[in-house]
Amino acid sequence: MERVRGRAASRGSSSADPRGTFVLSNLAEVVERVLAFLPAKALLRVASVCRLWRECARRVLRTQRQVTWISAGLAGAGHLEEHCLLRVGAQEIENVHILPSTVLYMADSETFINLEECRGHKRARKRMTMETASAIEKLFPKQCDILGLVTPGIVVTPMGSTSNRPQEIELGESGFALLFPQMEGIKIQPFHFSNYPKDMPLELHQFTEVGLLENPDLRVVLVFGYNCCRTGASNYLERVVSLFSDMNVILAGGQVDNLVSLTSGSKPMHIDATGVVGLTFSGQRIQSATVLLTEDVNDEKSVEAAMQRLKAANIPEQNTIGFMFACVGRGFQYYRAKGNVEADAFRKLFPNVPLFGFFGNGEIGCDRIVTENFTLKRCSEVEDVDLFHSYTTVMALIHLGASK
Amino acid sequence: MSLSESSVFAYESLVHSANVLLSLDDQRKKDVLCDVTVLVEGQRFRAHRSVLAACSSYFHSKLVGQADAQLHISLPEEVTVKGFEPLIQFAYTATLYLSKDNVDEVCKCVEFLGVRDIEESCFQFLRFKFLDSTADQQECPRKKCYSSHCQKPDINFSLLDQRDLEVDEVEELLKNKNAQMPQCKLSRCQGNPEVSPPLQDSPSRTSETMCLEKDAALSLPSLCPKYRKFQKAFGTDRVRPVESDVEDVHTSSVLTVETSENKSLGAVQDCADLQVMLKCEESSSAMEHEETKTVDPASQCPSERTEETSPPCKSSADPPGLYPLSLFHTYDQYGDLSFVGVQNTTALTEKPLSGVDAQEEKAFGESQDLHLKSEPVPREDGSLASDRSSVEREVAEHLAKGFWSDICSMDSPCQVQLSPTVTKDGSEQTYPQKRSECPWLGIRISESPEPGQRTFTTLSSVSCPFISTLSAEGCSSSLEIGNDDYASEPPQEPCPYTCVISLGEDSETDTEGDSESCSAREQECEVKLPFNAQRIISLSRNDFQSLLKMHKLTPEQLDCIHDIRRRSKNRIAAQRCRKRKLDCIQNLESEIEKLQNEKENLLKERDHILSTLGETKQNLTGLCQQVCKEAALSQEQIQVLAKYSASDCPLSFLISEKRKSTPDGELALPSILSLPEGPSAGLPARKQSHCYPSASGSSETGCPPGQEAGPTPSAAPREPAGPVELGRPSGGISDFCQQMTDKCTTDE
Repeated sequence: MERVRGRAASRGSSSADPRGTFVLSNLAEVVERVLAFLPAKALLRVASVCRLWRECARRVLRTQRQVTWISAGLAGAGHLEEHCLLRVGAQEIENVHILPSTVLYMADSETFINLEECRGHKRARKRMTMETASAIEKLFPKQCDILGLVTPGIVVTPMGSTSNRPQEIELGESGFALLFPQMEGIKIQPFHFSNYPKDMPLELHQFTEVGLLENPDLRVVLVFGYNCCRTGASNYLERVVSLFSDMNVILAGGQVDNLVSLTSGSKPMHIDATGVVGLTFSGQRIQSATVLLTEDVNDEKSVEAAMQRLKAANIPEQNTIGFMFACVGRGFQYYRAKGNVEADAFRKLFPNVPLFGFFGNGEIGCDRIVTENFTLKRCSEVEDVDLFHSYTTVMALIHLGASK
Repeated sequence: MSLSESSVFAYESLVHSANVLLSLDDQRKKDVLCDVTVLVEGQRFRAHRSVLAACSSYFHSKLVGQADAQLHISLPEEVTVKGFEPLIQFAYTATLYLSKDNVDEVCKCVEFLGVRDIEESCFQFLRFKFLDSTADQQECPRKKCYSSHCQKPDINFSLLDQRDLEVDEVEELLKNKNAQMPQCKLSRCQGNPEVSPPLQDSPSRTSETMCLEKDAALSLPSLCPKYRKFQKAFGTDRVRPVESDVEDVHTSSVLTVETSENKSLGAVQDCADLQVMLKCEESSSAMEHEETKTVDPASQCPSERTEETSPPCKSSADPPGLYPLSLFHTYDQYGDLSFVGVQNTTALTEKPLSGVDAQEEKAFGESQDLHLKSEPVPREDGSLASDRSSVEREVAEHLAKGFWSDICSMDSPCQVQLSPTVTKDGSEQTYPQKRSECPWLGIRISESPEPGQRTFTTLSSVSCPFISTLSAEGCSSSLEIGNDDYASEPPQEPCPYTCVISLGEDSETDTEGDSESCSAREQECEVKLPFNAQRIISLSRNDFQSLLKMHKLTPEQLDCIHDIRRRSKNRIAAQRCRKRKLDCIQNLESEIEKLQNEKENLLKERDHILSTLGETKQNLTGLCQQVCKEAALSQEQIQVLAKYSASDCPLSFLISEKRKSTPDGELALPSILSLPEGPSAGLPARKQSHCYPSASGSSETGCPPGQEAGPTPSAAPREPAGPVELGRPSGGISDFCQQMTDKCTTDE
């Protein structure tokens, strides 16, 4: 008791009031209530105060099950020394209320990789990349699975409310990190298949390990091909995707510039390696839908119609994230110098769903709905035909179960 | 011990429900134990009461309590065959097949029959999709809706693999397309005697079309998005009109082209390439259109079937029409159906065919013309001053580049041979794919960890003989025709597999070769290189990299090569930029010209108005003077008149005239002008209507007073009435006019 009081005394004002000390060191309900206002990192620090607090902190952490995100847009850009995502991330991670178990972050390749600085020296360039990437990785807990990608452009919803207006940032320093906590009944696993060394056969057990095969609960696969400019990369991507594309799952993604971090993979990443990375979402409660905005969709009206389609899928909007994977060829120019058209249309119909994504070099996705009770997809003998596109936008909604 | 004896173990099978449904479906197909006949629009569906009652509240209410051994239920006319057939299939397979043309009816039937486990949102989704898919490229008309409670897609596949006998035949059909084509045509003739003459063309044409389309599809996705972005940014709007021109012109040259039907595939490819390059989305939309056309009959066929069959297979008709497997599927499907719909099908298949022909002709024509055009165009883009429109220039340029790069790049000839072979490859590849699909499904059903291939095969072998016999019974003698006919259709579809493959290999093709002369240094360096600079520039990125890998190069050489490449690319970009700027300048200049013209016109108009105004003024003054003279009013009288008449009367000028000498009269004129339209419209219109169209006069003269209001203040100090007049609303003016006229008449 004395020890606790001493600690409480060191915490300042309450020292004068022994009653306060008593409450804070004995009444779990009160402590829990108080701690519920603290972000995760502070909770972890506070957990070492005493047993009671540790238990309370643990309970509080367990209740925090919302997907959160850190985003860095153009407003935060401009610092030369480090990428804005890193800077904003370092600040904001202190305010995050969840303990992330999976992190998906994306940043624009131009500033993240620092192209000009080391032109022609690939190794130097790669090292640069790794520096920022590893700095970002260090922000998150050790056991957390981190998947980091760089793409030509970023779509991001500013931090704060889910109803903030999403921004399409086709050029310029930007990035976001999506933080998924441990969620009951939902399993998120990263996967990575590399084409290096070349012509390595794809082994099915690898797919099974990450839950891509023989997983009846698999609902959504976000799949990204990286280093797609290299020979055979797209081929490889298609080969990999074809192994699970025929299942009743939502597939969405695209081709990104590079993979910059992947903490779960034991394989060392090679500069020339091409491959496929992604996240699998499995869980009975997940509901999801994708729509493909084809080349014909090139004005506000048609975009809205496509969003209507997505809306018609009737995916609950609580605890849902939106993804938008667009082609670099779309965006501002495509809509006759009107920016942010697709993101705004999304916001209009889904006022409370945060939207994330990128402008990439190719998109994966098609019109599908997968929910608890049914799946709706196009019947086709060769799924790939339906899946790989360019000059399109894939919009996906992933509902991660109703929060209780 | 007693504890363990009393404890109860539960064995729970995860596959039972699915298997029960599967065998029920089997029973339905074989008409075993079926105890109800449902009549829909005169068509009979055999089924089990219990299944129907379990699936639909409507049937439940109808069937419960019925004791007849053989019950007939005829559904009201709200329920159509089109809508009911997928539903009865859903009842037995948990899979609902929806297409553009049945989604509405199915939805209606679902509502009417109260079918369980079908969610409204899927209809909504599809409706939205089909609604805007009029222009949509994703012409996918078939969707399937699984219910994951009891997923049993296996049944589809069991059906697929039944008729092993036919496989060979179909494969043969695919391989010797040319040989088979006449046959198809014959069969088509049988189906419909009014085959249009162009269709009687040699079969090789069809195959050509196929290649062409394939290639178009192939090169479409291979375009680098960035490049397309550029094209999008400044190309499309202008290219569009040109396109139509080109097409118009070239229909004439089509005939000649047609005769040389055995044109090399390469040429076909070239033109397809160009086509795609030029009209990125136009061609795609055209293709899509075509595709939808070709697909339509396929989607309609099932609806015309009279016998309930398994539509699962019909999906195969859609994209991979070229694969034997899928052909085989369609074959199966047609084996199952009774042959009522065949005649219609034949009629339908023709439409797409002719459409394709037309497309091909266009392509040919275009290629020829563009070829011609490309020749006079200088490679360098120095000919900006030429009177050719920028669009034409661009087109020609693309063409020149297209040809040139084709010649230059090594792989393009390979592609020619590639396309047919790839088709075969694709067909072979579907086999493993199919298999990989099936095991999964097998697993899905059986939930067993071991690869389910065995399960799957047993399934299919079990159901095979029955269904094949059934279908043998079901189909009439015209089955052959149907098959041939149907088989003739798929080749028109672009081979999706090739397209997908090409995406991998050529996704970064930016063959924007440019033949500008290289700098001295480049040439100097080039001497040492194992290949020439043209090649460096023209190759696509992938090819370029593989080329570099092929040759052992020193770092200097590598640098040099990269330099050359980069520079050439920059040059192209700069050229584009310049061109864009020039276009912009041109636009602005024309706009300036237009605006200047407009200005001139306006000035002229102004002068005219001013002159008419002057005339009006003179007339008015004269009139007033005359009136005063005739009335012989004295100064005092006039003043009195001015006092008692409306204050906005122009008598002020009379006053001034009487009081002052002539120069003042001129000065006073503006004060009249400052009067709104009243007098100028009213008086002259009455007196000199031949000279003034009153309406226009009034509206036009309304303007000058504002302009000439300047002088009025100068007159103001002398005439106190002046300023007062100015502010008056026009209502007083008409009053004044009235008064004036009254006075004039009474005085006289």
